[in-house]
Amino acid sequence: MATFQEFIQQNEDRDGVRCSWNLWPSSRLEATRMVVPVSCLFTPLKERPNLPPVQYEPVLCSRATCKAVLNPLCQVDFRAKIWACNFCFQRNPFPPSYAGISEVNQPAELMPQFSTIEYIVQRGPAAPLVFLYVVDTCLEEEDLQALRESLQMSLSLLPPNALVGLITFGRMIQVHELSCEGISKSYVFRGTKELTPKQIHEMLGLMKPTTSVPQEAAASCRFLQPVHKVDLNLTDLLGELQRDPWPVPQGKRPLRSTGIALSIAVALLEGTFPNTGARMMLFTGGPPTQGPGMVVGDELKTPIRSWHDIQKDNAHHMKKAIKYHEALANRAAVNGHSIDIYACALDQTGLLEMKCLSNLTGGHIVMGDSFNTSLFKQTFQRVFSKDYNGEFRMAFGASLEVKEMGVGGTCQWKICSLNPSTTLALYFEVVNQHNSPIPQGGRGAIQFVTQYQHSNTQRRIRVTTIARNWADAQSQIQHIEASFDQEAAAVLMARLGVFRAESEEGPDVLRWLDRQLIRLCQKFGQYNKEDPNSFRLSESLSLYPQFMFHLRRSPFLQVFNNSPDESSYYRHQFVRQDLTQSLIMIQPILYSYSFHGPPEPVLLDSSSILPDHILLMDTFFQLVIYHGETIAQWRKAGYQEMPEYENFRQLLQAPVDDAQEILQTRFPMPRYIDTEHGGSQARFLLSKVNPSQTHNNLYAWGQEAGAPILTDDVSLQVFMDHLKKLAVSSSA
Amino acid sequence: MDNFYIKPGNQERGWNDPPQFSYDMQTSSVGPKRNVLNKRVPPPQLTGQSPGTGLPLSPAVSSGPSSSPGPPPVGGLTPPPPPKSRMSPGGVTGSVSAENEPNLSDVQAPLLWALTTCRQSVKKQVCDDVERRLKLFEEMWKSGKLSLAVKCRMNRLSQELNNKRWDAADDIHRSLMVDYVNEVSQWMVGVKRLIAETRNLNPELLHTEEAPSNAEEKLHKAEEALPQTEEAAQSNS
Repeated sequence: MATFQEFIQQNEDRDGVRCSWNLWPSSRLEATRMVVPVSCLFTPLKERPNLPPVQYEPVLCSRATCKAVLNPLCQVDFRAKIWACNFCFQRNPFPPSYAGISEVNQPAELMPQFSTIEYIVQRGPAAPLVFLYVVDTCLEEEDLQALRESLQMSLSLLPPNALVGLITFGRMIQVHELSCEGISKSYVFRGTKELTPKQIHEMLGLMKPTTSVPQEAAASCRFLQPVHKVDLNLTDLLGELQRDPWPVPQGKRPLRSTGIALSIAVALLEGTFPNTGARMMLFTGGPPTQGPGMVVGDELKTPIRSWHDIQKDNAHHMKKAIKYHEALANRAAVNGHSIDIYACALDQTGLLEMKCLSNLTGGHIVMGDSFNTSLFKQTFQRVFSKDYNGEFRMAFGASLEVKEMGVGGTCQWKICSLNPSTTLALYFEVVNQHNSPIPQGGRGAIQFVTQYQHSNTQRRIRVTTIARNWADAQSQIQHIEASFDQEAAAVLMARLGVFRAESEEGPDVLRWLDRQLIRLCQKFGQYNKEDPNSFRLSESLSLYPQFMFHLRRSPFLQVFNNSPDESSYYRHQFVRQDLTQSLIMIQPILYSYSFHGPPEPVLLDSSSILPDHILLMDTFFQLVIYHGETIAQWRKAGYQEMPEYENFRQLLQAPVDDAQEILQTRFPMPRYIDTEHGGSQARFLLSKVNPSQTHNNLYAWGQEAGAPILTDDVSLQVFMDHLKKLAVSSSA
Repeated sequence: MDNFYIKPGNQERGWNDPPQFSYDMQTSSVGPKRNVLNKRVPPPQLTGQSPGTGLPLSPAVSSGPSSSPGPPPVGGLTPPPPPKSRMSPGGVTGSVSAENEPNLSDVQAPLLWALTTCRQSVKKQVCDDVERRLKLFEEMWKSGKLSLAVKCRMNRLSQELNNKRWDAADDIHRSLMVDYVNEVSQWMVGVKRLIAETRNLNPELLHTEEAPSNAEEKLHKAEEALPQTEEAAQSNS
């Protein structure tokens, strides 16, 4: 029998599911006593190169309130050609096409290795993908030039049959008519006047679609045309985009009417392609300063809101702007349209107020300093990246249905845009009464049904069915403990924490997190009462307190030292990535390179900073290569150029090679920092490591290895000491 | 081969801007990772060991940063197999192209042949637009505005077009748009369209207009086609 670690890994590889507990407590009371809820991380479109889709419709349970999909957990009577739904126990006859099945000739969806299976279904004509560019022209010339080129380049990356449209804005908004003729026309709107969708449709002359066939609708929309038809003219149009012509007086910001531009974009897609996969892409170089949704006025002497302003209730535009953008986001989400934000500026651009546009629709947020940077250009290229089949990774118009045993109800969510790493967190409630017997079959089952539009325009349904054994918490607590997936639990609790942090005060969230950790240690730690030194945690929980320690210090829960936009951006990335990437964000990876042996993971601790070691730290958002003092001196002396010190050159190269592997694939692209002992950029490493040695305790430790960090933050050791004391105490 | 290269990021506009990888480097990295950096070390306090004082990973190093250390140790490590193209520590590299500069007429001939073939069935306006861009390409080449890398890749693109390998030609056009957008953006869309239209032509047309095997003949044939269209364009304007 495989260990739980192997079980967990196999399940993730096959189904894209990681559960906090892999044995489920059988009553509600026991489940709440487990502290970490029964929950899972689910990646609906996990890349499965060995899973070819099947070309038929899924077989559904005939009970109207159930409609679960036939899966390996169902009981089958091959002779009578009947199957029993494992969710509602209804007996269903197989459809006529299944007449030939038998024990030795089973359809794929009954086989255990196909607990995750994908169906291609034909549901009417294929709808084209739609891409609508919404471009801010209040940029410096250098930035605008770089953006022009990136947009022109993207035309070569779009699927050739996709529809494309262009809206540009500054003080006014221009909706460009794309045609194959030589003359270019555009419709101009004022940036201050809010219009209803109906008014926008009338002013743009959009006819109601006379047919429900999307391809014919395409012909009638002059603003959204197939790439292969308009690429020549659109390339020229993009190349000729000018900076917003309205002069910006001294001491003022440009008047940027992002709010109206977005409302026109949303209305345009609403009126022409409702319920079709579409992607709005907003490119902006500064905050909205005019019209609804404005984030700051045009006077430079009034700075854009900081966390301090927000806490003191001094952010005058914030609530209104958030409300405005939320309304737009909901309209887009209802229609299955997603909104990306590409914000490149040195100051904030209003991501705090606009983030709902992407968060509610599954769109990307990319934050950079300038459009003329490799970070933006390559991240943008990767939006159009292709998988092992040469098909685009992005998918549209998804709906996720979750079915659980016994309850009968189904929950459904809409995800307008997703990719192979998009990961959702689902939290379950065990409803069984305490002391009632374990349900029939001994196993709980959950089915995830994801319907979506593939980038090749096929409609697909992916079905994942998982099961876990119920266990009686009274008698099997050790088994339940051994089934704990501490990595998944850390991410699931962290997502709950981030959710709370958006609406509660920061210190309250930390207190809640600490309380949960103490309760978990009290329940599962091995200790003698009132004796902190006796406290031990089993292997399945040994990393969990460290995760919580780093989570408390992370930018997801600590807004100090980050702007509101930065916090919004980090949180946005955190709540959608898969488990491995999310863990990296919580507790960065640290590897050490030296002459003493092969590269090895080391504690994220100041004691790992040594003069003759090179450290590679991955925080997800940054890759830091830090050269210890001696290494830095050797490098400065140029030993790597001398042939007899070839091994030193290789030592310098090793972390660079490992970093390169990450840089080539990660989305969004991280920053890349090459630094050394005493370097100003070393602060990225120093702020992340556990400060086990500070100016407060350097002499108390009495050791010489490692580098002291100048901070008053509590160290992991102090944190663990407090935790142990509280866990073993009878009064906590 | 200069398809695999890495350029430095723009440190002036973006702090710690990461390096920029060429299109081929990014698209070829699909597949299993070589190294997976995902291991962590549990703190010593919870696994039954005595509370640690940190983990010294090397023997005591001489303190006193002001004294300069001796040279690094020599020998010992076996070199790992080098990947196609690597970043270098503290900077980046590109590989120097060893290819010779191709001949402009060699590159142009298949493009012009394709254009001529397209004129039979593709809209005149589109063909004229493509032709205008091919002229721009020619002017930029002749006035030295195109880098060697762009010229070499265009040479390969032409050859693929000549051999009717449409996907390969399309991929090269994409790699040029990604890697050299500032040099090619004005005219490359014409090449893109040319590939797209040519591949959709009736196969009979492609065979009857079989491209001649030597460069001069190609060029001659293509030049024959040009003057008429130029006159037609002038008479229309």
